[in-house]
Amino acid sequence: MTGILQRPYVARPAAAEPVISMVDVGMTYPNGKVALVDVNVSIPAGDFVFLVGPSGAGKSTFIRLLIREQLATSGRVVVAGRDLATMRRGQVPGLRRRIGIVFQDFRLLPAKTVFENVAFALEVTGATSAEIRERVPRLLSLVGLHEHDEHLPAQLSGGEQQRTAIARALVHDPAMLIADEPTGNLDPVTSWDLIQLLIQINAMGTTVLMATHNQEIVNAMRRRVLALEHGTLVRDESSAAYEREY
Amino acid sequence: MRPFRFAAFTVVRAWQGFWRNAMMSLAATATVVLMLVLLSGLFIVLGGLDSGLRFIESKVGVTARLIDDLPQAELDVLLADIRALPGVRKVEYVSPEVALERLREAYREQGLTLDLGGAQITLYASVEVALTDPNFAGSVVEALTGRPEVELITTRQVDYEKLLGIIGAIRTVGIAALVLVGLTVLFMIVNMIRIAVYSRSGEIEIMRLVGASDSFIRWPFILEGILCGFIGAVVTIILVAIVWEPIQPIMVRVFQMPTAVSSQFLAVLSAVVLGVGLGVGAIGSWISVRANLSSAT
Repeated sequence: MTGILQRPYVARPAAAEPVISMVDVGMTYPNGKVALVDVNVSIPAGDFVFLVGPSGAGKSTFIRLLIREQLATSGRVVVAGRDLATMRRGQVPGLRRRIGIVFQDFRLLPAKTVFENVAFALEVTGATSAEIRERVPRLLSLVGLHEHDEHLPAQLSGGEQQRTAIARALVHDPAMLIADEPTGNLDPVTSWDLIQLLIQINAMGTTVLMATHNQEIVNAMRRRVLALEHGTLVRDESSAAYEREY
Repeated sequence: MRPFRFAAFTVVRAWQGFWRNAMMSLAATATVVLMLVLLSGLFIVLGGLDSGLRFIESKVGVTARLIDDLPQAELDVLLADIRALPGVRKVEYVSPEVALERLREAYREQGLTLDLGGAQITLYASVEVALTDPNFAGSVVEALTGRPEVELITTRQVDYEKLLGIIGAIRTVGIAALVLVGLTVLFMIVNMIRIAVYSRSGEIEIMRLVGASDSFIRWPFILEGILCGFIGAVVTIILVAIVWEPIQPIMVRVFQMPTAVSSQFLAVLSAVVLGVGLGVGAIGSWISVRANLSSAT
């Protein structure tokens, strides 16, 4: 397996194949609420993209469409070369192994240790014990938690819990990491530590899409910014700043 | 998918899940035991009665008591006429001497001796008609009624029909009770699995997000229901094995007939109990998993 752990640092190719492609994507919920309107986005492999917008702007729907928790009501969503609308139900787990995802609330299993939380993601996809023993310690080293592997989530700081969640998201060597408000529950110093880790992961070739309200981070990073308002993509700029108060 | 890893994962998770909600699991298992005990009881009673029915069937014939001193020529005609009747399997003339010997034999079987105080008795001669089917008894009785050679006609057809009625009633009531208890068991297992699904909703969500297949998510819950049915079946089989011997004489005493069923019946019953237990567990958990995990996309 060639994965993030094996890949050397390489500069991102200038015109890589898009890992995410949205063409005229619309999403209207059964209750009539319009969540996304004609969204057109193309994210090349290896990009680092911020997704910003006020609450209710459609960021969560945007992410749910990418992991095929929901299907767009119009348009076309292609992730890692696969059209999600034509994908069979049995192919969805394969897609989700190509996408790592972390959330603001970490979503760790409280009764499992750090090691077990990460191993769980391998275990439930049929990995052998040998694979688990080989991969989990390396991922915990990557996120700086190799000395905390026997700790329960409750014994960790917020930043350490989020790092555990990132390690878990990376177990299948995903092409893309989606981080939904990953710094939302963290103090500024810990938030920057986490951003450093995401930059490191991105530098290894993994595309990162980060939904955030953190203006300071977006401004400092000067990466591509996608801004949603009322379900419409109002801005898509490279090396952008956080122009509005969301 | 690696089959061994999948099987090991499913079994371990099902076992953990069963004991995680131990009270609910044990309550559901207890209802499975209740249903299977009821099923076993019904099988045993009906099996015993069927056995008794077969015994009576073999005895249902027609006995015609003859008038005294019937001439041989008339007896031969009578026997020939009876043999010609439909449904007659065998016709046997029982002379007074043979009747007396049978009486002595019946006494001997009970450990007694027929003591007539030296008196000479003459029993009635009779003709015993064995039938191919008990339902022919009526036509044979009808054919013999009114014949001058015949003094009295007796048959056990009434006993046979009464027993058929009892078996039918027990079967109907038993099946109705089984259906009701079976539905209760299904309800319990469906709820058990529903609670298990809710209590592990966090894990399920993570499993979906990290790309676990439907099989990995669903089968532990289905196996948990099957485990409930399996444990219930094993407990029931043990209970039945314990009471098997003691209930045999009780059956004979209650039903006043040789109802004893073969030990092979116990093996068949155990297989039925195991099959029904596993089946109900699987169906209940499958229904619940379909209802509660169907929103997975």
